[in-house]
Parts: sequence; structure tokens; C-alpha cells
Amino acid sequence: MLDVIVIGGGHAGAEAARVCARGGARVALVTMLRDAIGRMSCNPAIGGLAKGNLVKEIDALGGLMGEATDQAGIQFKVLNRSKGPAVQGPRAQCDRDLYAAAVQQVLAAEPNITIVEGSVSALLIDGRTVRGVAFRDGTKLHARAVIVTTGTFLRALMHSGETQTAGGRFGEPAAETLSDSLRELGLDLGRLKTGTPPRVDRNSVDFSKLEEAPGDVVPRPFSILTDRLPLPQILCHLTYTGSFAHDLIRANIHRAPMYSGQIHATGPRYCPSIEDKVVRFADKERHQVFVEPEGLQHPWLYMNGISTSLPADVQDAVVQSLPGFEKAVIARYGYAVEYDFVNPRQLDPTLQVRGVEGLFLAGQINGTSGYEEAAAQGLLAGINALQQIRGGDPVVLRRDQAYAAVMIDDLVTQGTEEPYRMFTSRAEHRLLLGCDSVYERLSPIAAGLGLLDDKRRRRVDARVERMRQAREAAESEAVTPDRETLAWLDRAGISLNEKATIARLMQRAGFDVEHFMTAAAATFPELAKAFGQLGDEELDGVVSQLRYAGYIDRQQREAARSAEEEGMKIPAEMSYGLPGLSREMIEKLSSVRPISIGQASRIPGVTPAAISIVRMHVRRGNCVLSPAGSVTASPAVSS
Amino acid sequence: MTTEQPDLDTIVAPATPLGRGALAIVRIDGPRSAAILQTLGGVSPEIRHATHIHLQMRGEVLDDCVAVRYAAPHSFTGNDLVELTLHGSPLLVQRVIAAVVELGARIAQPGEFTERAVLNGKLDLVQAESIADLINSRTTLQAKLSLGNLDGVLSRRAMSIRDTLLHVISRLEAALDFSEEGYEFITREDARARIVDAIAETRAMGETYRRGRATTSGLKAVILGRPNAGKSTLLNRLVGSERAIVTAIPGTTRDIVSETIEIGGLPVTIADTAGLRSSGDVVEEIGVARAREAAGQADIVLYLVDASEGVSAEDEMALFPNAILIYTKIDRAPAPKGAFGISVTAELGIEQLLARLDALVRDEFAAPEGSLVNERQLRAVVECSEALQAALAAIEGGLDEQIIVVDLNRAASALALLTGAITTGDVFTEIFSKFCIGK
Repeated sequence: MLDVIVIGGGHAGAEAARVCARGGARVALVTMLRDAIGRMSCNPAIGGLAKGNLVKEIDALGGLMGEATDQAGIQFKVLNRSKGPAVQGPRAQCDRDLYAAAVQQVLAAEPNITIVEGSVSALLIDGRTVRGVAFRDGTKLHARAVIVTTGTFLRALMHSGETQTAGGRFGEPAAETLSDSLRELGLDLGRLKTGTPPRVDRNSVDFSKLEEAPGDVVPRPFSILTDRLPLPQILCHLTYTGSFAHDLIRANIHRAPMYSGQIHATGPRYCPSIEDKVVRFADKERHQVFVEPEGLQHPWLYMNGISTSLPADVQDAVVQSLPGFEKAVIARYGYAVEYDFVNPRQLDPTLQVRGVEGLFLAGQINGTSGYEEAAAQGLLAGINALQQIRGGDPVVLRRDQAYAAVMIDDLVTQGTEEPYRMFTSRAEHRLLLGCDSVYERLSPIAAGLGLLDDKRRRRVDARVERMRQAREAAESEAVTPDRETLAWLDRAGISLNEKATIARLMQRAGFDVEHFMTAAAATFPELAKAFGQLGDEELDGVVSQLRYAGYIDRQQREAARSAEEEGMKIPAEMSYGLPGLSREMIEKLSSVRPISIGQASRIPGVTPAAISIVRMHVRRGNCVLSPAGSVTASPAVSS
Repeated sequence: MTTEQPDLDTIVAPATPLGRGALAIVRIDGPRSAAILQTLGGVSPEIRHATHIHLQMRGEVLDDCVAVRYAAPHSFTGNDLVELTLHGSPLLVQRVIAAVVELGARIAQPGEFTERAVLNGKLDLVQAESIADLINSRTTLQAKLSLGNLDGVLSRRAMSIRDTLLHVISRLEAALDFSEEGYEFITREDARARIVDAIAETRAMGETYRRGRATTSGLKAVILGRPNAGKSTLLNRLVGSERAIVTAIPGTTRDIVSETIEIGGLPVTIADTAGLRSSGDVVEEIGVARAREAAGQADIVLYLVDASEGVSAEDEMALFPNAILIYTKIDRAPAPKGAFGISVTAELGIEQLLARLDALVRDEFAAPEGSLVNERQLRAVVECSEALQAALAAIEGGLDEQIIVVDLNRAASALALLTGAITTGDVFTEIFSKFCIGK
């Protein structure tokens, strides 16, 4: 018998299957199309602001996305490089085919994973426990847990101009009946929309007319396992729309499904179609278009910035109005896709459907957008399915531990009205969530669960230790303003009035660490050695940890305070029919069923007074354990 | 029907402000309340019947009072509860409470009766939310008070600071999360200027607290002057002339006699120190220091001089530069030219004095709309101001957006008490409505 069935081989499904297999579970990964496993449906890039942090978190937890990206990356760039590491986002353009191949290779290397081609038509549910899945042809597959990662495929409908086609991705069918199975469980489903831009044949473009957009000179890999990046690094390009294209779009706006009323679902505000941009920001003279190759050899260019579902003739004219694209040939037209999603407030923070044991949902089915968001959910759903099978504790990360935790908490507590994308500003403890500290924060958790192999663990430990030593050296070594010191400090461009630790010096504006270490090497050999051992990314991390120490400390204190609230657990069977709670509060609390006071306090519209009441009851133990282990609130007064 | 809460403590506290009012109510809540009443009063009165009882402890009479016994769940708190209506002497109230404590109750924590009422469903949420201690002390969350509970002008003032914060925060956040979009979302100079303005506004709001506090807590006035200058007479006259005697409180520590009357729409407590009342010379016997102390604690100082004794007192007056100089007994001798005089016995100048005090209170102390009226509001504004100053320092120190935003978010969450929080959703709505974002 199988332990886990994963439905879907996208970024969520691949992580979920991999981590369960790593943990010793027997896994079936069910996909409609074996070759589509790990496919990038939209843009050929991984990472970016906040998303890059998710990929690093996945790597620190033993997931595969970072490794696959390093194998397929053809242009690496750290965004926000001039800013602190908390908001730096590593990003890589990828070769689309090589990325899917890398994912497939990682999965193939796991003997515990069986790949099953087929289309799941229904979930097998016994009472309130999942038992397996049924296929369209009537066959069944049983398992102790099922992880649904169907992306945009649930009752998916593609729109291109006036044409509508059923399907979740170009040329691939939709999953038509699985939604019914979810509805039968009493789940509330909604409808979202996303879109993709046209792909252009690269041989039809005059690159001499485009701006070049290079990557970093020294590319930084995502994974701690990667020593060198295997692929050559390439250029991207940049072009702009102009008034001709804007006029054209306005003249044809009635043919856009979003404006003709053909699409009702909500699309993401941060990823508007070009028709949206032109209508809503009429006075903007031009819009950027990032021209991204789909691969080293791939014949297509991804036109990032002009996502559209306008009819083909308008797309042709718009693309051909771009400088360099006068003779461009569109290889695939942009389209919008509408799909079902499950209101994620019906999930526990483990991503298990509340009240259906063993059924987990991850990825776009939960209302998110993006490969990285999907992968992080897949990984955590997988870890929790695994824990359930192994009889271990659920793994719920805190918001001060990971962007992934911020995302999952937001989803299950607040729900989402539009496709949810990770932004750094969603994290209230952002300074604690930088890529620099990701292995310190998360790898011990994964190691404790037995999910890190020896190689990864050794590398993590070594890295964390190197950074610790460097920090300690900078905090313990001090400079005194004597003549000799002032002389070499002056060479490093630093003035000094009183004794100060090196860490203190680093807090000064304009401090140049490399310059300083060169000058200080003779006086502080230990310090220079500790810093000399650091890799490029580690050095940046240590310097900013020291530089922002005061702010980081304060956020840590705040996080510790909120951790208390997170630690105050609300019993699973808590009844919210508490005296003093209004009907509205009871409804809000019951619809989310928060696991802690902390989570309860983040439910939109739940007032501090209502939280006080819940807290009083939890603190006073007005929830008595019944012999069966379930918990009910005992009324304080019977009347 | 009684509460099934054997572990519940029985608690006791006065339910009315301590004062020399005619009556004071003491509340005893919890399972032992009836037994305690039985011990003190020797009887167990019928439920919900006001019963006259002589309270005794070890044979010593404490007071005769009216007791009402309530049985759970039909009481303010929903528990068994006893209310004793005593004579309004603080000393008496203290002795009764001490006796109740000796019989097994403990003094209630602030807000504890309310907490019990909420726990038992006796107060609904709206009522509970208006109870400050419940919201305030027990949660580290951003307390959101509904705007409707606050004075409209105060809300508007606070909201304008919130608007500034939202403007700056959303643009700095955009610079972090959408740095690839080709926008300069906000210049440092613009951000700096807006923060400076917001700091000025928080300071101005902080300064309204003096008036705001006066509105809710009332003012203190003190009457100084030599013996026989007519202080008590004036005090009695002021009290007698006033329709609304708000309350009358005997001091406990220094034997200060005071009466509270309404002047200019505010409660003003007028005090006359015992020392000042006693015979002898103010300067020599009580000392300038003590008189100064009394004056220093007062919002209004009236300095009385017997008109027949003349201006020999002017030297003393100089010690109290903020005092209002009033010549008394002008039916016997005239006040100096241009000076203000009264005679209580001849009913001269009293109306003018009242009018003058009335104007003084309205001009100097009455809170304009938009003032901070309690300490929590003041703390919110002060914390907001401090966080804004830290943000300003971060901008001027060349730190990047993520650090400036930390302080601005702190400012916003301090202000949330008055305005509601700035949520991530608010920030995104601002960004997406003002800038064309997205590839």
C-alpha cells in the first residue's frame, strides 16, 4: 500500500513527492502527462523579490527547487543588491526545458516515488478520512494521505480574444470533475484568473534595437549544494510599448475578455495585463517589456510585461509596434486562464483540509500565484503529510521564521481575494527573514525531521559556523585611536575618536568591508582569517547582520513576544459559543478555527476584546479534555 | 441556581469612587459573598431585596447599611454577588473592605468585575470594548478601537498622520518590492519632509493632553491667603452659589478640605489647606514652601487679601506669580484702585468673580475638539512621535528603506489605537492604485 498520493507534477507536487519519499514514505505522483512534470507554465524564471527568499527557504529545508534552478539557470541576478539581505531577492532566468528535465531527474533519483500517468476524477473519502483517488478509467489507488497540487487545472478555461478553450495550460486538458469531489466535502471553491504573454520567435527580432539587461558578473547559485553553475550565462533585453500600441489596445478594448464580460474571475493586481495597464494608467507613456529567452537553444522569447488575452490580430499589431519587433512573429499567443481554487481558510496551518484527515492542498489550488509560492507549500504540505504518517508532530513554522510561514498563515487566516503572491512587505519581521540567515533558521528544523542528507547538513553546519565566527570576531575585536591604528584606519578611509569594536565600525555609513579587512589584516589576523573564509553571500550576510544589529535585536524581541501568543494554543475542538462573543465574532473564529491566540488575533475583523475573551477562557482552562481526548469549552454559567 | 465554580475567588472592591458623598457602594463577588454577608450582618437577606443590616465584626459595629444579595446568574457579573450601600466615608469603606478580606475575599484587580461579567456573558462585546483595561492591558496586539468611539476631530487629526504614514510606507515598500519597475516611488527628501510634518503634528496633539485631561479629570484650584482673609467664606460661597455640586471629597493625607464645583463647564476642585486655615502668618507658620507646593499642584490659584489690611500682602503675592489677586471684605474697606474686590457678606463682586473664573477655565483649560483625553491616547501619540523621530534619524543617517519602514510601522502601530492599523492590504491598495506595477 502507498503512503502518499500526490496529484499533480508541478512545482508544488514535485516538492511534496520528493520530501515524502526522502522521509521514507512510498509515494505515487499522479500526472496527466509525465513529460510535463516540473514544467514552467509561465515565465522562464525562478526567484525574484521575496520569491527568491522562498527558494532559499526551500533549499534550507531540503527541497529541490534551488538545485533544479542552479542546473537550469542561464542568467542569475540578485535584485535589490544595494539594499540589505532581508530584501535582496535572488532570481534566475532558466532554460525551460532543462528546468523540467532537472526536476524530473531529481524525482527519478528517488526510489520511493512511482510516477503514474492518468487523470484523477475523484477523491476516495471514508467518513472524514481520505483513502485514495479514483481515476477517470475507474481504477483506484489507495494511500494514507493525498496531496492535491492541481495548479490552474481545476475546471480551467483559457481565453484568447473571443475564443474559449477548456484547459489548464496550452495544449493540456483541464481537470473537470475533481472540483466536484472537493465540493462534496463541503469545501467552498472560488474562481481566479491569471494570464500569460505572447511568445515570439527569436529569429524574427532585431536585437540591435533593444536595451541589454545583463545578469550579475559573478552569479550566485541558489542551493548550498551547488559548487558551480553548469550553464553559460546569457543576456536578456528590454524594450518599451508606445502610444501606437496603447491606442491600438484602447481601440480594441471591447474585444478583451476582461472587458467584454467574458471573464468574471479576479486577476492579480500586481500582474495586470497590458490592456489593464493601458486603461488604468492612461497617462503613462510607455510600459517596460522584458524580453527573456526561454532557453539556451529554445526558439522562443517570453515577452514579460505584456500579458494579454486580446485577440491574435491585436497581439500581432501590439508586438510589431515594439522597437526591434517590427517583423516579429508570435509563436504562441498570450491567453488568460480561469480556474477553480479552494478558499484556503478551510485549511489548517499544516495545509490539511480541516476535518478531512490526510487530505492536503498545496499550490495554486490554494489561491496563490507563482512557482515559488507553490513549491514552498508543496514542501510543507509534504512534510506534514509525512509527519502524520510517521506519527510525528505537525510542522507549523512561525511568521518570524520563514516567508513560507507568512504565506501559509496569511492564506489560512485571511484567505485571499486575488492570486496571492509573496512580497517582502507581507512579513512584519522582515529583517529576520533575509537569505543570509535562512540556513540558521530552517535547516535545524529539517535536520531534526531527518530530511537533510549528510552532504547538505555538513555544508549548512560549516556555513553557519563560519558566519558565527566572523560575527564574534567583529564583536570582540576593538580598535583604539592610537597613532599606529589611526594610520592604517586612515588608509581604509575611517576616522576614529574613541575605542570601538569592529562591529561598531561596520555600523557606520559607507563602511567598506573589503577595504577594511585588507588594511586590518596585519593587526587582526584572526579577524581577517574569519572573514577571509566567508563566501561572497556569507560576507554580505555577516556585514549586514552586524550593521543592522540594533534593528534585528528589536525585531527579535518583538518576535519573541508574538511567539508567546503563538504558543498559547487553542484546543482543536474549542467551541466559540462563548459568553460575551457576538455572533459575528463566533462566525469569524469558527470559520478559521485558529490553532493559537496569535493566529486568532490575525483573523480580519476579530476585535482585541474578542481575543481577550478567548484568551481568558483558554487561560482559565474553561476547555476541559473529554476522555476521548477531544476538547469542549465548558460554559462558565448555566442559566 | 448557583455557579459551578468552586475555584472562583471571592473578590471585593468599592464600586463607587471614594469620596465624602452621601453613600458608597461596596461590591463582593464570588461564591463566598453570601456567607460573608451572613457573618457580617448576622442575617441572610432575601435575594434581590434591599435589606437594612447592621454590619459588625467581632462585636464591633462597622456601619449600618443597605445590603442587596444577588444569586448567579442574575447579577452584574453573573456570579453570586452582594452589594453593600454604606455611608460615604472613606475610612468606613476601608474598614468594611478589610473585614470582608479577613473573611476570605481578596481585593479585586482593576477590571476584574468586568472580566467576570464578560466571561459570564453579562456584558456584550460592544460594552466590553469600551472598557479600557480589558483591551489595554491584556493584549500586545494592535488595539483597534472603532473610530465611532472617538471624538471626530481627534480621529481626523490622527487619520491625517495615518495618511502620511501610509503614503510614505507604501512608497518605501514599493521601492523594496517593486524595485524593477522603473519608478522612483518617493524621494528621500519628500519622505523626510512628510515625516517632519507628522512629527510636528504628533507633538501638537500631545500638547492637547493638558486640556483634554482637564476635561475628563477636572481642574484643581487652591485658595491661599493670610488667616481671616476670607478663604473659607469664599469657598462656602462658591459652593453655595453653584447649582451643580459634582462631588465633595475630603482629602486623606494632608487634611485638605476641598469642594468640587462646576466652572466653565468643567469640574473644578477648590482646596483650602488646613494649614492655611489655621491662625498665624502664612509665611512664618506654614512656610512659603508648603504654600508653593499647594499652588504648584493647582491649575488655578486664588490669593485673597483682606482689603482693610491693605497691600502689605503684595510682597507675599509676588511669591505666587500665577495667582489671581482678590481683595476681600470690600464692604469694610475699598480695594485699591483697579484691583479686583469682593465681599461675600455684602454679595459684592461674586458674580464678576464667577464670570472671571468661568472665562479663565474656558480660555485656558477647556479642551477644544480633537484633544487627547486619556493617558492611553497620549501614550499612543508619544510612541508614534518617538518612532517617527527614529525614522527621521534613519533617513538622515542614510539607512535604506527596510530600516526606515521598521520605525514607520512602529509609528503606525502605536497610532493604531486612534486610527486602526495600517494593514498590508492597505499598503498594496495604495501602491497598486497609484503606480502601474507588474510585468
